[in-house]
Amino acid sequence: MSRPRRVVVLDICRTTALVAVLLVACLFAVCRPASAQDGASVEDLEERAFKQAAALVGPSVVRIQTVGGLDRVGQLLTGTGPTTGVIVSSDGYIISSSFNFIAMPATILVQFPNEEQPVPAKVVATDHSKMLTLLKVDGREDLVPATAAPKDTIRVGQWAIALGRAFDVAVPSISVGIVSATDRIWGKAIQTDAKVSPVNYGGPLVDVEGRVLGILVPLSPQGTEAAAGVEWYDSGIGFAIPLADIYAALDRLKQGEDLHPGLMGISFKGGGLLGGDPVIDRVRADSPAERAGLKAQDVIARIDDRDIRRQAEVKHALGGKYAGEIVGVTVRRGDETIDANITLVDKLVAYESGFLGILPVREPIEEAHGLQAVGLGGVGVRYIYPDSPAAKAGLLERDRIVKFADKPVTGAAELADLVSRTRPGEKSPLTFRRGEDERTVEVELAAVPNLVPAEMLSATIPPPEKAPEALKTGHHTVELADHMRSYWACVPDQYNPAYRYGLMVFLHPKNDTMEADMLDVWKTVCEQRGMILIAPRAADIVAGWTPNDAEFVKDATDDVLKKYSVDPERIVVHGYADGGEFAFGVAFKHRETYRGVLAASAPVRERPEENHPEFRLQFYLATGDKDPQRQTIQTSANGLRSLKYPVVLSVIPDWDHKYPPLDAIAEMARWADSLDRI
Amino acid sequence: MSNCTARHTGLTLVFLLTLSASAIAQSAAETIQSTLPKVVKIFGSGGIRGLASYSTGFLVSADGHIATIWSHVLDQDDVAVVLNDGRRYEAKVLAAEPQLDLAILKIKEEGLNLPHFNMAEDAGTAAVGDRVLAFSNMFKVATGDEPVSVLHGVVSAKWDLTARRGRFEVPYQGEVYVVDAITNNSGSGGGVLMSRDGKLLGMIGKELRNAESNTWINYAVPVQELAEPIAQIVETGVYVQREKPDEENPGRYRPLDFGLVMVPDVVFRTPAYVDAVLPNSPAAKAGLAPDDLVLFVNEELMQSVRDLRNTLGYLEAGDTLRLIVQREGRLVTVELPVERKAE
Repeated sequence: MSRPRRVVVLDICRTTALVAVLLVACLFAVCRPASAQDGASVEDLEERAFKQAAALVGPSVVRIQTVGGLDRVGQLLTGTGPTTGVIVSSDGYIISSSFNFIAMPATILVQFPNEEQPVPAKVVATDHSKMLTLLKVDGREDLVPATAAPKDTIRVGQWAIALGRAFDVAVPSISVGIVSATDRIWGKAIQTDAKVSPVNYGGPLVDVEGRVLGILVPLSPQGTEAAAGVEWYDSGIGFAIPLADIYAALDRLKQGEDLHPGLMGISFKGGGLLGGDPVIDRVRADSPAERAGLKAQDVIARIDDRDIRRQAEVKHALGGKYAGEIVGVTVRRGDETIDANITLVDKLVAYESGFLGILPVREPIEEAHGLQAVGLGGVGVRYIYPDSPAAKAGLLERDRIVKFADKPVTGAAELADLVSRTRPGEKSPLTFRRGEDERTVEVELAAVPNLVPAEMLSATIPPPEKAPEALKTGHHTVELADHMRSYWACVPDQYNPAYRYGLMVFLHPKNDTMEADMLDVWKTVCEQRGMILIAPRAADIVAGWTPNDAEFVKDATDDVLKKYSVDPERIVVHGYADGGEFAFGVAFKHRETYRGVLAASAPVRERPEENHPEFRLQFYLATGDKDPQRQTIQTSANGLRSLKYPVVLSVIPDWDHKYPPLDAIAEMARWADSLDRI
Repeated sequence: MSNCTARHTGLTLVFLLTLSASAIAQSAAETIQSTLPKVVKIFGSGGIRGLASYSTGFLVSADGHIATIWSHVLDQDDVAVVLNDGRRYEAKVLAAEPQLDLAILKIKEEGLNLPHFNMAEDAGTAAVGDRVLAFSNMFKVATGDEPVSVLHGVVSAKWDLTARRGRFEVPYQGEVYVVDAITNNSGSGGGVLMSRDGKLLGMIGKELRNAESNTWINYAVPVQELAEPIAQIVETGVYVQREKPDEENPGRYRPLDFGLVMVPDVVFRTPAYVDAVLPNSPAAKAGLAPDDLVLFVNEELMQSVRDLRNTLGYLEAGDTLRLIVQREGRLVTVELPVERKAE
């Protein structure tokens, strides 16, 4: 095979030399008929080169036919006609476009050039990143694999000839164009203006020397499904996956391994791929990036051997990478430079917190410190959820958990962190003290329940020995000087700074601050359960909340945290109607502060953020069975649950869009009072 | 070799820069010069809502005979024809060749002595990969004395539109030129496909969707097919229609006639699996067995049970039925005689 090929290549070299002469002749002779040299014009020579290129690669281009399968995939009518593939090894491996098999045919047949009878082929593996499918024909050793054009020789502007075998078995179909761009679709593809369509998807894009630049596939910069990009067929915007890249990944495909886009688990702040600095905004829990130690605010400086200055360059550097590949990432953190090798994955699993099933004892702050000081730390158990992992492991109220997953536990926050970083279903040893005994049991964590226990006593807080001075209790209004705005607050009359309180931030609906109504129903609850209620007022009470108000709500919250003793695990933002919709926005914006969202008759309007163990959030969505919003609230609950957030959905019987009635409020209060559950 | 490649790519770039200015213009320029005056714009008087009321034609006689595609544009007997220099004439439909979708118009005015294609001398052929030029009144972009639009491309394939029955609703049977330029647009039908060196290759067909790939196809009917009827109509003013083949055959063959019981046709593309074989039938004698998947009937791929039924329907007594079936991953070929059906 190599001999004739070399001869032709030489011929083409000679042709190009001729072309050069002709061009020069052209320029001097102001383009009079340029046939003087050997009777052939520039066009003749080009034409000859196209045909020779097609003839050279022809033996590697096969016809593929399918039988059976779906007649429709989504909106797209699937074709039944023959398609094209390219031989990539002498022993029967053929690469083609995944588009040719989206109908999931029952049988695939491959017909080699110059052979009468097609032979059965089977799908070996699929590349879901570059939309390629590898086929295998058995019992062949004599096939001619296509030669790949080295990637560094591919230049924009060079001739590119798209070949297919859909029309005719004997002669491949030809469409001529140029290479329009390289490294398109985040570094995955060559772009060409040759006509690319279902009649040549899977076929080769070749250069004039008959070397394969790439395999023709439909691709779209946005869409990722198999048929994305088909709408651009024959438009002059066609794509081909470089054959050199396919050969590099061929061994993995041959082993039957499906390839997927490689994910790292970082996200950037909005602000555009083009302008944005590559500053990591979030690192997903349990992602390769997190395991490699990347942190929010790190600046990506390098990926493999490529310097990174913009967010788009990160996408370019990672676009062609597969799950399982290791990339070298260099980040800057302050003055430090950190190198990490990160193994990409195909799927980022949503973070889900584990659940033990206890409420911790709420010790007075001083006492808790004292116990820790004498080595009697751990977490006292105040309440055990029925049927929870803690109940199953035989824990009792008043036991003290001292170790979890072999790590000593000094306080509730620490235990909560350890448990939340363990997934539901995982088992961990847990050591607890009961009286003088110390026992170790194995607990299998569960998911945080989506129900509120019917009976749950509040932790009582004794009155203070001496009323704290200069701290307002009861119902009062507070001016925030920075904002020149005010919020009202309701602090238990017997406020005792030795204990930690829950905090509920209420966001009123537009046109009604509900101040009197809220006081009416919540004052007693707050006294009982040790909760502080505050309610900022919208800048324009009639028009309601605007996104800018989030800062004011946050500052009002911080104002309370400064003055009073508040448990950081029990800070809830609560809203009704459009105040509830705003509550979601406030909580997602200030995840470092809020641990719960209690929304009455309000759906989620914006795309929720990913769940994260650093910023645990729980949700309580209340609606009436006659609430016109009920369906969207149900959808919101499902959406949040799919992100693995704990969500309680309460549908109040015989109730519409009104603020929930008293018995529903009792459950809402129990939920808010149990946010420190572990 | 890499040296050669580098040099070559560099040259290609130079090429592209000079392409439009010089290279294509070389010999193609003359072709374009001589072809444009022979291509006309045709306007129908009405046009149905949503359908174009214009198309393209080409002059085939000095007296003003125009070959064009048969379409609804010609529904009224009188149409307007505009030459490339802006002259406008009334024309009437003289005759049509329905199997080729060909119609011949005649400009009513006499003694014009117009430039035209000489079918005997100007006809040529092209191979796959040859560069071609397409001339048409696509999308009516040419108005008045503007000549029609010219596109360039290569012959992508030579292909039989009706190689598989039911693929297209076209009367024409035979090979067409498939082109890699988007030649078949609204109003393009009746335009011409030319070789670079000025040979008339074919007439651009109507807009068609390729049922195999669900894509639009760009094609032209070869001039060799058109020459004889054009000559006949120009000479005599009428066309004697060839006899239509008998389409409805009451004695159509069914799978059961060969002793084959196929699986129930439940989905659109039920693969043609054999469900059962009647004892002592031709199928049984040929060794066919349940679960065989019929892939080919007389070299034609069977996508489904429906395909198989249709294809068997075209058999005639005395034919040989050649089946290729897939059995346990292997392809097996069997032949069955097609016996006369019992009355």
